[in-house]
Amino acid sequence: MKRRALFKLAACGAAAASCGLARPADRTRLRVNVQTIIDCVPVVVAIKNGYFAQEGLEIDTSTSGGGAVGIPGLLGGAYDIVQSNTVSGLLAFSQGLDVQVIAPGAKMLPQAPTTEMVGRRGEAYRTAADLEGKSIGVNNRNGIVWLYARAWVKARGGDPAKVSFREVPFPQMEDAVRRRNVDAAFMVEPFKSAAVKSPELAVVGSPFGEVQPGTDAGHYLTTGKFAAQNPELLRKFTRALRRGVEWYNANLSTKEAQQIVSEFTRLPPAVLQEIVLPPMPLQVEVAQIRRTAELMRDHGMFAAVPDIDRYINKDLIAP
Amino acid sequence: MSRRTAMARWLPGAASVLLVLAAWEAAVRAGAVNPALLPAPSVVLSTLGGVLRAGEVFGPLRQTLQLMAAGYAIACVLGIALGIVMGRSEAGYRLFEPLVELVRPIPKPALIPPLFLFLGIGVKTMLFIVVLAAFFPVLINTVQGVRGIDPVLLNTARTFRLGRAAVVFKVVLPAALPMIAIGMRVSLAIALTLVIVAEMLAGENGVGFLILDMQRAFRIQHMYAWLVVLAAVGVALNAAFEWVERRLLPWRGRQ
Amino acid sequence: MHGTTTSIGLRRLLQGMSGIALVLALLALWEASARLGWVESRNWPPFTQVLLALWDGLRSGELLRLVASTVGFMLVGYAAGSAAGIALGLLLGLSPLAQRFASPLVETLRPIPIAAVVPPLILFLGVGDALKIFTVAFSTFFPVLLNTIAGVRDGSEVLRQTARTLRLSRAATLRKIVLPGALPAIFAGLRTSLGIALVVVIVAEMVAGASGVGHFIVQSQYAMQPAPMYAAVACLSLVGYALNRLVLVLERSALPWHGAS
Repeated sequence: MKRRALFKLAACGAAAASCGLARPADRTRLRVNVQTIIDCVPVVVAIKNGYFAQEGLEIDTSTSGGGAVGIPGLLGGAYDIVQSNTVSGLLAFSQGLDVQVIAPGAKMLPQAPTTEMVGRRGEAYRTAADLEGKSIGVNNRNGIVWLYARAWVKARGGDPAKVSFREVPFPQMEDAVRRRNVDAAFMVEPFKSAAVKSPELAVVGSPFGEVQPGTDAGHYLTTGKFAAQNPELLRKFTRALRRGVEWYNANLSTKEAQQIVSEFTRLPPAVLQEIVLPPMPLQVEVAQIRRTAELMRDHGMFAAVPDIDRYINKDLIAP
Repeated sequence: MSRRTAMARWLPGAASVLLVLAAWEAAVRAGAVNPALLPAPSVVLSTLGGVLRAGEVFGPLRQTLQLMAAGYAIACVLGIALGIVMGRSEAGYRLFEPLVELVRPIPKPALIPPLFLFLGIGVKTMLFIVVLAAFFPVLINTVQGVRGIDPVLLNTARTFRLGRAAVVFKVVLPAALPMIAIGMRVSLAIALTLVIVAEMLAGENGVGFLILDMQRAFRIQHMYAWLVVLAAVGVALNAAFEWVERRLLPWRGRQ
Repeated sequence: MHGTTTSIGLRRLLQGMSGIALVLALLALWEASARLGWVESRNWPPFTQVLLALWDGLRSGELLRLVASTVGFMLVGYAAGSAAGIALGLLLGLSPLAQRFASPLVETLRPIPIAAVVPPLILFLGVGDALKIFTVAFSTFFPVLLNTIAGVRDGSEVLRQTARTLRLSRAATLRKIVLPGALPAIFAGLRTSLGIALVVVIVAEMVAGASGVGHFIVQSQYAMQPAPMYAAVACLSLVGYALNRLVLVLERSALPWHGAS
């Protein structure tokens, strides 16, 4: 507790004093928690290219396995900013936890689908009759993948209650489908592209594309408390991050970008060549968050849609 | 047993638990702890009350206990059997020891990929995880117990020309039983712990899965409520074990 | 025992080799199953690929760094948990009243698995070294405690009566009778706990870590690199084996009168 208070004093002081390029000793430290996934590469780019340094920020990155660890860490004061998927963030907010969105993370673009439903070639997944009674593998129940898998079944006319959703970690999904533990699985890269190389498997649907093209899949979050006390710091963070996203989008296909992605995610360059690398979003699209929240309500994740206007940081994001 | 001695048995323990709970409640009310992250015992208990009233406790509890019972039973049988072999036979010990000792350090989450591949994503994998973990303390303690048997007893058995099986069941097992019992008690706790882990890694229901699910949904009060259920199960199982031990091993000189 | 010293030694050597032969046979089975297509999966590389990844990892020093980091944290937590377990175990073993006070608390906390406790713990300990050490200490404490209590209480009654006959003081009884009598059980607890400690530190790293072997294992899975993942697991296996052997050696030197080997 004391440590945090001291840090905040220092941060405010440093923010007030900085103008232009800050010397290393003057930089304010921000602890950002990310996952070693492609979505978080823009942060790495912004660090590498000095965009944060130019804003007087020293970014301390730590990695973890996602919202389940990241958000508690944020709330407990271990991090200042956390990257998380939309559903985890909304769940936390709906439970009264003090989180808010400050920057865009990732977006599901129909023209560059990274996350798709993979099933067995030759089997039918078209209509409600095909889907009901089947089992679909999702990485976590009550997560974003589960939600859109259910919404996809519904969109195809089926009743999600008649489909069984089984938890399978992403790396094990291909095995699960081939072994018939599940009939289909909602896979992310690089597992999706790898799986469809197998002759028995094929993409059988694009849940995000079919249900909600342009879904905001993830964001950067902070606590309301931190935002209230460090507005300028967050503006700098989002500015530098934005430049990182712009550079990344412009240089997606270059060897340099591939090298950065490969180093960060540990995916070998050969694998990277084969997967879909979508551009990262520059804006948070509030309407998409609202739509996701409505879906969450429809599928029983909460009783009512929470107040999205209070969920986004209005200083940084246009409602 | 008189009521006074019965009370003297459980009063101190109850007192210490109540003391901890009171301190926890006070800490939350005083604002020393964030109630969203560590709710007060009163809040947790009322959430638990709600779950109990809605009858939602029994299904998951039954799943967990069934899995645990199955895993524990298999682990004990395998542990004792292999432990006797390894304890009595030097050759047997040296044959299995490297394999056992190389497999033991492998953490269960690291085994998920091959387990899902070979045993699928359901009960078989979970059972394997529980057995694999709970088996080792029983094994180690059985080996230790068997090796520590007074040679006089074994010589006596030889004098009476007891057959191999008779030696095992009439001499070895009873003599090693105190040590085996220690192992079985440790294994009981491990079995419960690992059932929860297995449910978190590969389960779809049960107390462990629910604890993880509630945590992911940030329903913190419910998560703690289920942790209380888990703790209660642990206490109950331990008490049951002690009761059985008192009956079967009365010579162990308990107070 | 019949036979000369040499033939006993030779028999021991052959028996020891039989154990290794069993392990090698199983590994050969693994290799065959992958190469011959009995098991076909991206997640089941032939064992030789795992060996290659192991070699690469060792040569680059990466695996060694990871192992050193993980084992270091583990040992700190293990030492803390074991010390506390033995200390409290001696107290509770000797004083039935103290045990009645502590027992429900201990039994309440014991079954809670680390995986359930890590996210709430993160709130208080952050995601770093403190978390790893605490979770290891927490898990190590209980088996050592239980074994110590049992060891103290089951110490030979004959020896205790001998102590009384000789009118040994409390401290002397503790040092010369109770403690040595409890050592076999304590060591069994220490051995069990060491295994648990290694597993727990890895689990903590897998769930909430950013460094160490556990984190590397998860990362390799998600980077679609099963061979390095299995190489790390093999490393863990060997490290665990070595540590266990170490405890055995220490045990044998402390308890020369115990056991056949």
